[in-house]
Amino acid sequence: MKNIKILFLFVAALSMASCGDFLEKAPKTSQSTEVTLSNFDGLNKAAYGALMPMYDWYGTSYVLANEMRSGNGRREASGTFQSGRFYSEYVWNYSADATSGMWGSCYYVIHAANSVIANLEGKDSEEGVTAQDLDNLKAECLFIRALCHHTLVLYYAQPFTYQPDGLGVPNIIEPGDANYFPARNTTREVYTQIVEDLLEAEKIMADDYQRSGVTDAKATITKPAIQALLSRVYLYMGEWQKAADYATKVINNEAYELWTAEELPTVWTKDVAGDGGEVIFEIYGKKTADYYNSWSDISYVTNPNGYADGGVSNDLYKLYADNDVRKTLHRTDKENVSGGLMWTTKYAGKGDGTPDCNNIIVLRLSEMYLNRAEAILNGASISGTTAIADVNAIRANRGVDALTSLGFADMKLERRLELAYEGHYLWDLGRWGDGVVREDFTAGDNFKDIPFPSYKWALPISQSELDINPNLVQNPEY
Amino acid sequence: MKSVKLFFTSLVILLAAITGYAQDIQVKGVVSDASTGETIPFATVQVKGTTKIATTDLNGSYTILAPGNATLLVTYVGYADAEVPVNGRSVVNITIEQSTQQLDDVLVVAYGTTSKEAKTGSVTTIKSESIGDAPVASVEKMLAGKMAGVQISSYSGQPGAPTTIRIRGISSINAGSEPLWVVDGIPVMTEDQNMMSNVGAGSGTTMASINPNDIESITVLKDAAAAAIYGSRAANGVILVTTKSGKQGKSSFTARAKVGVTQLSNDKKFRPADVESLLTFQRDAIINAGYDPDDADGGYYRPLSLLDNDNTDWYDHLTRVGQMQEYEINALGGNEKGSFYTSLAYHKETGIYYGVDYQRFTARVNADYQLLKQLRAGARINAGYSDQNSGQMGNLYYANGAYAMWNILPFEKAYDEDGNHNQDLPNNADTNPRAIAQYDEYNDKQYRFQGNMYVEYKPIDKVTIKTTNGAEMSLTNARQYWAPETNEGTTTLWMYRQESYRLTTSNTVAYNDIFADKHSLRLMAGQEAQYDGYNYLGGKSPDVDPAMPYPNTSSAEKDALYYNESEETLLSFFGQLDYSYDSKYYVQGSIRYDGSSLFGADTKWGLFWSASASWNLHNENWLKDVKWLNTLKLRASYGVNGNNNIPRYRAYGLYATAGYNGVTGMLPSRVENKELSWEKNRTWNIGVDFAFLDRLNGSIEVYNRNTEDMLLSKRTPQTSGFSSNLMNIGSVQNRGVEVMLEGDIIRTDDITWTAGFNIAFNRSKVKDLAGSEFLTAADPRSGYDTPVRIVEGKNMYNFYVRDWYGVNPSNGDGLWYAEDGSLTNDRTKARYAYIGSPEPKANGGFNTQFSWKGLSLSAFFEYSIGNDVLINNVYGWYDDDINVPVNNLLAKDYWKKPGDTATNPKPVVGSSSVYYAGYSSRFIQDGSYLRIKDVTLSYNLPQNITKKAGMKNVKVYVSAINPYTFHDVDGVFDPELGSLGYDYGGAYSMVKSFIGGLEITF
Repeated sequence: MKNIKILFLFVAALSMASCGDFLEKAPKTSQSTEVTLSNFDGLNKAAYGALMPMYDWYGTSYVLANEMRSGNGRREASGTFQSGRFYSEYVWNYSADATSGMWGSCYYVIHAANSVIANLEGKDSEEGVTAQDLDNLKAECLFIRALCHHTLVLYYAQPFTYQPDGLGVPNIIEPGDANYFPARNTTREVYTQIVEDLLEAEKIMADDYQRSGVTDAKATITKPAIQALLSRVYLYMGEWQKAADYATKVINNEAYELWTAEELPTVWTKDVAGDGGEVIFEIYGKKTADYYNSWSDISYVTNPNGYADGGVSNDLYKLYADNDVRKTLHRTDKENVSGGLMWTTKYAGKGDGTPDCNNIIVLRLSEMYLNRAEAILNGASISGTTAIADVNAIRANRGVDALTSLGFADMKLERRLELAYEGHYLWDLGRWGDGVVREDFTAGDNFKDIPFPSYKWALPISQSELDINPNLVQNPEY
Repeated sequence: MKSVKLFFTSLVILLAAITGYAQDIQVKGVVSDASTGETIPFATVQVKGTTKIATTDLNGSYTILAPGNATLLVTYVGYADAEVPVNGRSVVNITIEQSTQQLDDVLVVAYGTTSKEAKTGSVTTIKSESIGDAPVASVEKMLAGKMAGVQISSYSGQPGAPTTIRIRGISSINAGSEPLWVVDGIPVMTEDQNMMSNVGAGSGTTMASINPNDIESITVLKDAAAAAIYGSRAANGVILVTTKSGKQGKSSFTARAKVGVTQLSNDKKFRPADVESLLTFQRDAIINAGYDPDDADGGYYRPLSLLDNDNTDWYDHLTRVGQMQEYEINALGGNEKGSFYTSLAYHKETGIYYGVDYQRFTARVNADYQLLKQLRAGARINAGYSDQNSGQMGNLYYANGAYAMWNILPFEKAYDEDGNHNQDLPNNADTNPRAIAQYDEYNDKQYRFQGNMYVEYKPIDKVTIKTTNGAEMSLTNARQYWAPETNEGTTTLWMYRQESYRLTTSNTVAYNDIFADKHSLRLMAGQEAQYDGYNYLGGKSPDVDPAMPYPNTSSAEKDALYYNESEETLLSFFGQLDYSYDSKYYVQGSIRYDGSSLFGADTKWGLFWSASASWNLHNENWLKDVKWLNTLKLRASYGVNGNNNIPRYRAYGLYATAGYNGVTGMLPSRVENKELSWEKNRTWNIGVDFAFLDRLNGSIEVYNRNTEDMLLSKRTPQTSGFSSNLMNIGSVQNRGVEVMLEGDIIRTDDITWTAGFNIAFNRSKVKDLAGSEFLTAADPRSGYDTPVRIVEGKNMYNFYVRDWYGVNPSNGDGLWYAEDGSLTNDRTKARYAYIGSPEPKANGGFNTQFSWKGLSLSAFFEYSIGNDVLINNVYGWYDDDINVPVNNLLAKDYWKKPGDTATNPKPVVGSSSVYYAGYSSRFIQDGSYLRIKDVTLSYNLPQNITKKAGMKNVKVYVSAINPYTFHDVDGVFDPELGSLGYDYGGAYSMVKSFIGGLEITF
């Protein structure tokens, strides 16, 4: 019996001895939150990482959804040239049980940005890290946070120009906390936060800050990108002078120049935007990227021989003059069995096989000219330019004649023609109070036109989110 | 009846002719108790070494035919076996002695064996004999319908596909519900390790690397007491597999071969409609929409002249008769020092869809040796290799024949002008599964090794010290290649390498003692540790040279590499105490303390325990004299088990790397949960075992199992960045009754007829979802949400679908119930309702075997009662779209004119108010079925013939597997649709096989 006791104790002791380490198994191919946010290198990677999901939420979902809703897009009701995708967007069929996923996508990215912002303090004590390095990271994250809040307020609130003090979305400026149940801020409060973030970003980012090592320099956040977004946000707020001022800052920046009529057809499918040209900020597309959408990629959905749901309506197509080089940015299917249906070539793919991928432009120079023209028409003044001069600057590079006079309708038309299928037109219609009027529409008269104002311009918040957070209020009529 | 008699008569004559020259004599006698002299009825008298058996009658008399030099073996419950040589006598009276050593069936249980007499928990065993000849490719499939409360189902009939096993219902929502498998004392890996097959990931268990014929017995531990010693991971039950080992003094060499064919199990002849019916249907749909099918410019052109085309039956064209073959040799032997068993087997199957095949080699060596009087050692080594081609089965891939047949119209040609597979198939994305099968590759090569070695030391008679150490490895090499012939001239290659490995050590000390004759005591203590590692390396190479389709020929710029690695550990200490008194009263207590690396720093450890007792009433003096009662035993148990079956690192808050724009960044991938810990099951079980008249035995069990602290994703506000976090919340209850019965209906010298039956009733109830009203069940294969919901206050799985009313007889519109209960023909206004559940009210199996001399006919049935199934609209229910075929049921029965009471509404092409879209109760049906699982006719050649040929035994047999299934489900090939009762389309459904085999033992 004694032997047994000794043996048993021996076995127990042996196994106990190694037990502490044996059960500690930390992940190897991902890093704990604690470690990541504890040093500059981790924060630097995390700040950059916050950009990545954009390929998914801004790229495919945002642009396509907006165009399908705005009347620029068109989808076949049945048959080969549709796959069942983007029907709900096309007919504006949103309910609390089936709504856009933008809410989750944007708040996730906001959490990623806030996690960096909240942990920067004191990291400049690390060797080789300066206070400016930290400010650059913070500026990037503030830009991302502002872009996300802006997207959210566009999706889930009525336009600022219509109901500035209506229901906005919660401003989230601290890292995620599962026990925090925020109420909705007003739309004005959200815009105030966005402007505050962007102004601070502009102030603290080094003028020449440019992330190194990247393939596409235009797919990173720079000071001009912050300024261009400020121009857009002010425009959407009706802050005309500020919109014009910030547009001017970018227009006067020699790094950017308008694409010529010759260049225009070639710029959309490039792998890298390169120096010069219009692109101020874009999302870089690559098939090996983690947020690549594969078969749901915008390049496949707008490909007539792919899923083909994202077509171009004749309402838009017929607006292009025959000599307008922008008209050539359309194609029909390979053998034209669709009978002349059109699809945009702005996302025709980089030639990387099937399905393909594409860069997605978020901010470019033409938008700045158009922002400024609209602002000037609304009373802003910038010395040395006029609204018509800005519009004609674009037209001169599109193969169409200069306008001799510029009314609101001309400015709106030019904006639609130039920025079609880049995710703008829907918000423009809302800002202008125009509503959606469609003629070339395939889903029945019930869904064809969306008047403004209408409750439909603010999408419903998902029921599950409302269930979890009692402080949230649903938009009316959902 | 006459022909049956005639058949048997001729068989008798035939067999009599064969056996006629045997020098048998008729032996008579009486069997009696050696001490009291009382005669003993129902004792078994057997000619030793043969299958000849007789039973004593009420007077203890028997008659048997035996050779004059034979030995008679007499057995009877409660008595020691007796052997008596005949020595040419015609009257042999035999006395037998009562034994204190009961004639128990040995049961393999956790960390050892026990006897039926001593068991206190809920344990069911099947032995190799009843595993039988069923030519299944995988061990877990053998369990179907054989044990009460063990539910086996598959999402796929593809060779090598995994199986879903549920013991006593589904106890967990997020953590796995698969039982723990322990082979020869070592917990083994059960995940599907194939990467290309598309049938398995996460959907169940596969034991494909183990040859079913190597198995001696399978024991299922169902209740907390039986499983508690496996504490952690035992919540879903434990399946103990024991492989064969050599026996002292017996040596044999066996060769087996079987060949057969397989085909789609489609007993209700469901399929796409034939071309004539389809055209009629489509023309009606066009006319109903106000168009002219004969107008070439009308948008919908379907002229009758299409019938004159070179039409194709795509169902026939995409399916085939599969073939199956299996060869095996094994040998076993032993002497007083050592014994061994070894086998080598090869199995090959071609699928019923093109491009699908499976082959496998397995080899095993089991050896045991008595090194010293106190020291024994042995090893169990199994190696397996499989090579599997998968096509693109099990999903909504155009390359999947099971899906493509519902996309391609019969008007499409099978071959183009050059005789190549036609790939101009616009409705199927220009994809022809036959071309895919010919040119593309979806291949898995899997190498598996399982080995363990034990040393057993008995320093003194009553103490046994044992250490068992195992290693298991699985390496999968997968290759996916898109050839230029099927991809518009481009190529893409993916190659993956996946390794899983497990190291286990298990060490026990046991003390056994019997004191004062009647007190029996066993104490056991042990320790176990387990390490699991996993790594995965994948590469993608676009544009490889088709002449040399390897990464070497692709440009480095486009290549992409993927990598993942993880590990997990478990450390356990356990102890068990058994005490029994006089073979009447048994108690057992178990305790186990487990630490898992999966949980938070302070919550890694879980304590699990059980207590159980049983009472053998038949050993009580006041029942001992009741001769007809062999066994009457009451059992009760209570215990707590754990479940840690979740993905790794869920307790950590994580950042994952992600590549973008040439730089690697980091993104938050998970919220931290430092408190994450074990999911717990509390189970009580009450059972009664009985046996009467030495003929009928069975058991009845009642149980209640509560799952608590469930590992459940709690929804969090998305404004926090994440929509859910895994926490220990919520609870689920499973209650049930199980009945098993087995009996000998006829047992004479030449004829035996046995039958067995089992049935299980399980009821689940979701008691707490921690604030969520419901959860949506995800498909285990794809991760997609299903129309199945888990609802607080209801049973576990419920279909949540649009509420269908039927067809309006006056105008053919489909009608739904609207929210207010009124009827509407607008699908978008239809209300949603909980309609039906895929959980069966009862399920089980029954079997019967009839043997006459060497000839034996066995049949085995499996059934499921009261489960609902939801039929997928992928299968030809599109009544508004003429670009895809419809099925033969829809084409046969749809509304045509006012007054028709049709099942299906009027088809209208291009209608916006489509009837199929979304899931509705229109497609919910009673999924009950009765499956003839296996019918086998076998014949053992008489031994006097085989002996002359130098063989111990020769057996020939023919089997039909799944030959027929009785069911009422319209719109599926086969009603077995996995535990969610729902198929999201493209499944490789069940198959039936017809097989012939030969088995020779030397």
